[in-house]
Amino acid sequence: MKPIESAPFAAPLLNWSLAVAIIAGLGGLCLAPVPARAAGPGVVVKLTDELKFAPASVTVKVGDAVEWRNDSVLVHTVTDDPQKAAKAADSALPEGARPFGSGNLKPGATYKRTFTVPGTYRYFCIPHEAAGMVATVQVTK
Amino acid sequence: MLKLSMPRSTGGLLGLSSALLLAVSACTPGRAQEQASPDMSAAIQKMQSLDGWRGYLDVHKAVDKPRELAGGPVTIKLTQDAGGVFVGLPDHRRRDPIVFGPADMPRHYAGTPGITGAPPPMWQAAAGGGQETKPLTPFGDKHIVLPDGKLTIEAVDATATDAATTDDKVMFHASWKDKAGNTYEVKCCAKLAAHGLEYPTFGGVATNVILHGNSGIGTPLMPTEFTYFAFWGFGEVDMNGKTLDKPRLIHGMLTEYVRGQDYKLANDEGVTPQRLQFHLMVPPFKPDMEHGVFAHAPVHTGFKLPNGKEMPFWHVMFETLDFQSHRG
Repeated sequence: MKPIESAPFAAPLLNWSLAVAIIAGLGGLCLAPVPARAAGPGVVVKLTDELKFAPASVTVKVGDAVEWRNDSVLVHTVTDDPQKAAKAADSALPEGARPFGSGNLKPGATYKRTFTVPGTYRYFCIPHEAAGMVATVQVTK
Repeated sequence: MLKLSMPRSTGGLLGLSSALLLAVSACTPGRAQEQASPDMSAAIQKMQSLDGWRGYLDVHKAVDKPRELAGGPVTIKLTQDAGGVFVGLPDHRRRDPIVFGPADMPRHYAGTPGITGAPPPMWQAAAGGGQETKPLTPFGDKHIVLPDGKLTIEAVDATATDAATTDDKVMFHASWKDKAGNTYEVKCCAKLAAHGLEYPTFGGVATNVILHGNSGIGTPLMPTEFTYFAFWGFGEVDMNGKTLDKPRLIHGMLTEYVRGQDYKLANDEGVTPQRLQFHLMVPPFKPDMEHGVFAHAPVHTGFKLPNGKEMPFWHVMFETLDFQSHRG
């Protein structure tokens, strides 16, 4: 029986994997993950088809805003509410901060939030939390 | 002689299981059966005869007045009105040792390979350890995301068991687009599978059951998953408003979430019970009613894979869901 032809599929993936490996390797030489820092009044986090918040970690100052933009064809949410998390580790709020959520963000939609309590916020996308769509906002004084 | 527990002795079986499972290969329709040797045909018939549901199905499939579901009928309404879909691509499926057991004492090998059967010769060593299916299957990690997914289902689960007739009902319509703007649709169900072949269908609609994995109902290549609602019926596959394939077996199910990090298909230990997914499956098989088994038959989907071949099945996930259900 002739085996299934997987090469046409695999070749682009292999090249892509190689590229990722090379990039990762180069990064390993001098770069640890560096959170994006707010340059002005706020930062933008993109929601992707790959089920990522990009960047996965941002740092802003108290009073700054973060804007999330759904750049994917999927519906996503931006949610930080321990009551709605499938895994407790996927939601974290500093003491005194209140849970928040965007509701469903259709493709192209945005959600903006100003942070007034310093600390670490761990948030997730409700439909894709289990697929690893989890990220962090660090708010500094 | 077929020895299911001794993979080295079953080279012929491997060929046939690959051929059957891999309707996915997008080869010429019917080619797999045409190439099957007498030994392979005997092996597959042997495995089909070992299917453990045969007794249950034989008893129930002639019942013309089946009993009603305990507590009365359940009405289901399920929709997705915005957002994309995840489309599963042909891929190898990692072996879940919890479901399939150790290689020397395998479980879930009986039945048509790819339906309920996953015989030892179907497995190979996987990069990084463990095993994976040698053939490509609809049940792997590879996928693409496509836009404009819409889903409308109205269903009633009234009949409790498999039977000759059913009071279950399903109206199903799903559509999505590719990035070139082509529209793909699946419609169902002009007819429900009132009884199953190789495994039960509970009258065509089932609610609050466990499917796949260790359940023995449906392919064990999917994880064991609690299923709030499922149906099996016959419908059509369309592209840009034109019917490409009809009638086709259509299976849908609303389950707990069975994808993990980077959307990899979970093993049993990676299922997330608190989240929901709807799965649409148009399998590359057709029922052979005369023999009570399934036969290889790629689906004419019209969708071109990256390698230029036609996708021979649809395995589509909807995840932005509005789900309502009630008794009565």
